[in-house]
Amino acid sequence: MKQDLSINIAGVHFKNPILTASGTCGYGEELADVFNLSELGGIITKTITLKPRDGHPPPRTAEVTSGMLNAIGLANVGVDKFIETKLPYLERFDTRVIVNVAGARLSDYVALCARLNDCARADMVELNFSCPNVDFGMEIAADAALAEKSVREVKKIFSRPVIAKLSPNVTHIAKIAAACENGGADAVSLINTLVGMAVDIKTFRPRLTNNTGGLSGPAIKPVALAAVFKTYQAVKIPIIGIGGISNYRDVVEFFLCGASAVQIGTALFVEPDAPIKIISDLKKYLSENKIRTISELTGQMRIYK
Amino acid sequence: MSKIVIEKAELISKRNLGNGIYVLTFAPFSKLKKIRPGQFVHLQVPHGSIYFRRAFSVYDTSHEIKSFDVLLKNIGQGTRLIASMKKGEMISVLGPLGNGFKDPGRNETVYLIAGGVGMPPIYYLAKYLIGKGYSPKKILFFYGGKIRADLVELSKIRKLGVRLILSTEDGSIGQHGLVTQAVEEEISRVSGQKIFYSCGPVGLLAAVEQLAVKYNIPGQLSLEAPMPCGIGICLGCILPLKKGGYTRVCREGPVYNIGEVVI
Repeated sequence: MKQDLSINIAGVHFKNPILTASGTCGYGEELADVFNLSELGGIITKTITLKPRDGHPPPRTAEVTSGMLNAIGLANVGVDKFIETKLPYLERFDTRVIVNVAGARLSDYVALCARLNDCARADMVELNFSCPNVDFGMEIAADAALAEKSVREVKKIFSRPVIAKLSPNVTHIAKIAAACENGGADAVSLINTLVGMAVDIKTFRPRLTNNTGGLSGPAIKPVALAAVFKTYQAVKIPIIGIGGISNYRDVVEFFLCGASAVQIGTALFVEPDAPIKIISDLKKYLSENKIRTISELTGQMRIYK
Repeated sequence: MSKIVIEKAELISKRNLGNGIYVLTFAPFSKLKKIRPGQFVHLQVPHGSIYFRRAFSVYDTSHEIKSFDVLLKNIGQGTRLIASMKKGEMISVLGPLGNGFKDPGRNETVYLIAGGVGMPPIYYLAKYLIGKGYSPKKILFFYGGKIRADLVELSKIRKLGVRLILSTEDGSIGQHGLVTQAVEEEISRVSGQKIFYSCGPVGLLAAVEQLAVKYNIPGQLSLEAPMPCGIGICLGCILPLKKGGYTRVCREGPVYNIGEVVI
């Protein structure tokens, strides 16, 4: 029996469900020094905005128990340079490319996606509605009606699948996900980071110049699993699970909670080749458990009534 | 072939140099021949309680036993756990990382300026240059610290055949004062083209930069910033560039031309 790790999201075929999360893999160039990106199911590029951004001043990362805080502040090269130099670089790899975008207002998302619609290498876009470290974006993630409208407007001008990336820093993430589905989202990805803080007791200063940051890493995995679990009961579109995934067991947990694919993020900072190990371990897991396709696992958790 | 590898290596020897300073030798590592002086390795802290790796400049290598050395001072939880490793224990090595030093011109007198535990990449640069046929007579090795115990491995450095000029802030060994004072005294004594290479605390690097500007001497500085990933994907270890924007110390650095970075 041949094990099948391939998945299908909104009609797009992925060779496996292991994607690298936006903001943790740049535009691919650095990880390509470590492993062949063609091994990946897909790469989700660092959030791009209309204009280049330097991001926040240092320190903008802090190590905390079982993870990290970051407040990079959406540092990126801007859409022009991205299309000119970063996207062409990814042509050489046989993997899906999902371009993550963010803007200060709905018209920015529309303008970005209009540009990307002309770039065939952008297989999908992921709308970053959920960066906790800039003074924009979050209002969309926290407002179901606005999230729905935003997805609808983007869908009008972007002809390929659209993913909405959601924030856990809201009252009901599943409701926002359902609103995005109503707006025409082809998938949702969750969760982005949780707002957090760390303090230096010698200087009485926060450990990030942005004062607060986004918590990621193994610390947030249980929160992410619950968010995927709740969202799975509220939407029919595929869910891409994100949050503290470091090994194949984590991936299986996310699938059982309802994920159809996953993103590896902060784990790349510790083990940049983690996706390769996870892909190989997943094959072994399927084989040992006589499971033919990984998609069969989605939502198969036997929940207590 | 990957440029950067992740491998398990064994701690094959550990030397305690006192003052919390240790030299640890790990083997094997498959990319030894690719390591340039000034490059670093990112070591996973053993025993699991620390999430991120810790970055260490390569201090020395041995091709016979396929080993590399790091020199560290146990100043934090991560370094303490690495320093407490026992012979035979394994560690995950990510590397080689960063850009490394660029070679000097053949006619340039090389001023190596090391402060405290900034010594390792400077030593490795000296060894590399001599290995490439650069005359030890044209290498001045300045090594400074606060106290005598900050200055380690002196006989190993002297074996290179370079002139070693020590200084301590308390005067307990070598010249009394800052290492850059010793450098400045020497500048006026020797004529001809000079080049600086320096690694150490920020105050030292800033003083080296001032001397470089004052005497119009080019050079390179090895900088430091806390590095979560070490390969350029987390965007955490940034420093401001004088021309504007930021640079990733782990990827574009850690070695920069004097005057490039705001220090």
